[in-house]
Amino acid sequence: MRLWRLVVRRLALSLVALAGLSVVIFAATEVLPGDAVTAVVGPDATVEQRDRARLELGLDRPVLDRYFDWAGAAVLGDLGTAYVGGRPVGDVIADRLPNSVLLGALALALAIPAGVVVGVLAGARPGKRLDRFLSTGSLLAIGIPEFVTAGLLLAILAIGLDLVPPVSLVPLGGGPLDAPTIVVLPVLSLAILPAAAAARLIRASVADTMSSPYVETARLNGIRHSQLLRRHVLPNSLGPAIQVLGLAVGAIIGGAIVVEALFSYPGIGAELSSAVGTRDLPLVQGIALVLAAITLLSLLLTDIAGRLLDPRLRT
Amino acid sequence: MFFTWWSAATVVRMRLVPNNEGQMDRRAFLKNSLAAATVTALAPLIAACSGDGSGSTTTVGTGATTGANATGGTIRAAFVGAGASETLNVFSGGSALDFVRARAMHATLGNLDPNSPDGVAYGVLEGIEAADDLSAYTLRVRPGVVFSDGSPLGAADVIHSLRLAANDATGSFALFVADFDLEAATVDDDLTLTLPTRQPIADGPTILCVGTNFVFKDGTTDFTEDMPTSGPFLLREFDPGVGTRFERNPDFYGLKLGGGPFVDELELRSIPDEAARLNALLDGQVDLANDLSPLQGQELAGDDRIVVEATQPPYLSALYFQMNMAIPPFDDVRVRQAFRLACDRQAMLDTVLFGRGEIGNDMFSLGFPDYAADIPQRPFDPDEARRLLAEAGAEGMSVPLLTGPESPGMVEAATLYAQQLGDVGVDVTINELPAGQLFADFETYLSSPLVSGFTTAAPALLYYQVVFLGGGPFGLGWNRPDIDELVFAARGTADAEERAALAVQAQRALFDEGNAIVPVYKPVITGRVPGLTGIAEGLFEQYPSFSEARLA
Repeated sequence: MRLWRLVVRRLALSLVALAGLSVVIFAATEVLPGDAVTAVVGPDATVEQRDRARLELGLDRPVLDRYFDWAGAAVLGDLGTAYVGGRPVGDVIADRLPNSVLLGALALALAIPAGVVVGVLAGARPGKRLDRFLSTGSLLAIGIPEFVTAGLLLAILAIGLDLVPPVSLVPLGGGPLDAPTIVVLPVLSLAILPAAAAARLIRASVADTMSSPYVETARLNGIRHSQLLRRHVLPNSLGPAIQVLGLAVGAIIGGAIVVEALFSYPGIGAELSSAVGTRDLPLVQGIALVLAAITLLSLLLTDIAGRLLDPRLRT
Repeated sequence: MFFTWWSAATVVRMRLVPNNEGQMDRRAFLKNSLAAATVTALAPLIAACSGDGSGSTTTVGTGATTGANATGGTIRAAFVGAGASETLNVFSGGSALDFVRARAMHATLGNLDPNSPDGVAYGVLEGIEAADDLSAYTLRVRPGVVFSDGSPLGAADVIHSLRLAANDATGSFALFVADFDLEAATVDDDLTLTLPTRQPIADGPTILCVGTNFVFKDGTTDFTEDMPTSGPFLLREFDPGVGTRFERNPDFYGLKLGGGPFVDELELRSIPDEAARLNALLDGQVDLANDLSPLQGQELAGDDRIVVEATQPPYLSALYFQMNMAIPPFDDVRVRQAFRLACDRQAMLDTVLFGRGEIGNDMFSLGFPDYAADIPQRPFDPDEARRLLAEAGAEGMSVPLLTGPESPGMVEAATLYAQQLGDVGVDVTINELPAGQLFADFETYLSSPLVSGFTTAAPALLYYQVVFLGGGPFGLGWNRPDIDELVFAARGTADAEERAALAVQAQRALFDEGNAIVPVYKPVITGRVPGLTGIAEGLFEQYPSFSEARLA
C-alpha cells in the first residue's frame, strides 16, 4: 500500500476513533453522580433553582440532542464555557496545554533514550546477571503507579536531599523554564514508567535479534560485540522503539493528570483533575477530548514513522 | 423571611476543600462570614465573656502615620485555587484564592470585628444608622477614599456595588444584600446613601459589613486587570491557576488612618493540594499556607520553623451527622437520642482532630453568645442508647452512613462513629463517596437515612433559618412551624437579650427532638513563618487581606 494511502486511511480511522471517544467522554460525564446543575447553582439550591438552571443549561433536552450540539460545536472549535469562572474552555486549554507539552516532551526526551540504553544493555546478553537486574528493575518500575513514584522522588530529591523544590511554582510572569528546577520532579515522575516500558520492549527485540542467524554468522566471522550491536542489532531493533513512542505519549498523558496535580504544576492534567472535582463538565469534556486527540495523533505519527523506518511493514 | 432559604443554605452548607479539597471554597468563606456576622452582632457579649475588652485586633483609626510602620518585603502565601478557571470576577470565582485576591484588590464596606464596640470595623464606610422603625439604613461613605485611577469613591459606587452583588447568579453574595430594596436605594449626596429594607431587620450593619461587600467603581461591568480598585494592594500580575502579584497601594485609605499595608509586595499562589501547600511552606517557597489538615497541624507542632494557628470558637467548622426523620426508624425520637448517646465525642476529638478542636453538644452555635451553653453536655452513654433502641424496637438495626472527604476529618469521623454505633448493636455500612461527590449528588444525599456533613458554626437564628425553616430539604424531615415562628420573631427583634432568648428556645427544641449529631468542631488551620505577623489584624483571617501584615 502506498504510504499516502496508508496515511489517509489511518487518518480516517483516527477521526472515527475520535468520534467514538467523544461519545464515550460525553456518556461518562453524563453518568457522573451529581449533575451539572449542582456545579452551577451549588449543592444547596432549592428545587426551583435547580429546575431553572436545568432549563438554562438545556439539560431538559434529550441526551442525543445535547451530544450533537456539543460535538458539533467542538468540531467548529467551540468547546463551551467552564462553569467555574466562566472562561471559554478553549482559552483554559490554550493556557495550560503548552506547559504540559513541555513536560511531556522533556519526559519523552528522557524516557526513550534511557529505555533504549537499558533495553540494549539487557538484551545484548540475555539471561546474564545484568539482564536479570535491569529486567527486574524495569518490571518493578512499570508496576509502580506514578503517584507512588512521584512521592518517592519527592521524599528523596526534595525533602531528603533538598536538591529541587517540592512544589512546581512557576515564576509569575514567566514560564516553567524560567525556573528549570521546578520541572525536575514531574519530568522524572512521568519518565520512569515509559522508560521502563520501552526498555522491556527493546530488550525483547534486541534479544530476539541477537539470536537471529545473521547475527550468529556475524559473530562467527569475528565481529566484535560492540560493533555487532551498533551495526547489526540496533538498527533492526529500533522498530519497537518507534512504536513505544506512541504508547509513551499515552502513558505520559495519563500520568500527567496525577503528577501535575501532585506537584501543583499548572498543566492540562492538573486542570482536568480539578475540573472533575468541581463537576465542571464542559471543562472535563473539552480537556478529555483534546487529550484523546493528542493520543490518537501520536499513535498515528508513530505508526507512519515506523513504516517509514521499517521496509517490512510497508508491504 | 429575611434571608431567602436558598441563598442562606448556599452559605451554610459548603465544602471547605474541594474535592479533592479545594473546591468551592467561596462557599466556605461565606459560611464563615455568616457565622462571623452574628458573632459580631453580639460582639459586646463576646468581649464581656472574654474578660479582655481590648482585644488584639487593629482597626483603622489608630496607629502611626502613613507608611511609618512599613516593613517592606514580599509576602508569598498559598491558598486553595481553582486552576485556570480562577477569575478576577469575585462573583463567579469558585475558590478561596479568588476571594482572598478580591480582598487584597478591593476595599469593602467593612469587616466583622468582634472586638469592636459595634461589632464591625468600617471600611470605606464611616458609619451606618438605622431608622427608628428599621425600615431603612443610612450609609455614610468615608471622605477621601479614592480608586486607583484617582477618582473619588462615593455613594453611587456603593449602590452600584451592592446591585452587582444582588445580581450574583449563585446567590452567595446576594445573600448579604437580599434584605435591602436596592432599586429604591437613593444617593442623598456624594457620600451618603439610603438603603430601604424589605422588612424590618435589626442587624443591617452586620450584614453590610460582613466582609463580602466589595466596592467597585460605578458602572463597572467587567472585572479586568486594569479596572479601578481601592483595596490595600494594586494588581500587577494575574496568572489564573499560578498566582497573583500585587504592589502596595500608596493611596489606600487605611494608610491615612495609620494602618497598613506595610509590605511592598504580595504574591498569592494557587496550590490546590494540601500536601503541596505544606511542602511549599516547609521548603520556604511560601511564607503562609492556608487550610492545612488536622494531621498536618499535628505534624507541625514543635517545628520551630513554622507557627501553626487554628481558629478559635466560634470560628470553627462543625463535623456532624444527620439522621433523616422522613426515613424510619429515625422518625422515632428515641432512636435519634440513642444515636446521639452512642457517640463518644472525646474519642473523636482525640483521634480525628488530634485534640485540636472542641467537643460538640449536638448544636451548631458553639462559641456564640446565643448558643445554649446552659444545656448540659450530652453524655456518652452506650447503655442508655441500647435501652432506647430496644424500647423503640430498633435494636440490631442496620443503616448506611453516607460520607465523603469534603473536609479533612469527615471520613475519619464517620469511620469512628460507625464503630461506636456498632458497640450499641447498630450495624453501620460506610458509604464513602469520592471527593466532591457528597453534596453534588443532591438526590442521594437528601434521600439517605444517615449522612455526614460539615459547617462552620452559625448563630442559632441564622442556622435554623438556613437549614430547618419551613421543612427545608436540608432539615432532613424536620418541620416545626411553631419553632419557625420563634425564629421569625427573633430576627425582627432589636433587643439583643430578647432575641437570644428566643433563639435558645428554638435550639432547645432541636437538642431535645432534632436530628443532628454534632460530636466535634474543627478549626481552620494555617501555617506561617514566624516572621510573618499581623494576619489576624486584617480581620476575616481565614481569608486574609494582608492589609495589616508585616514581614520581619
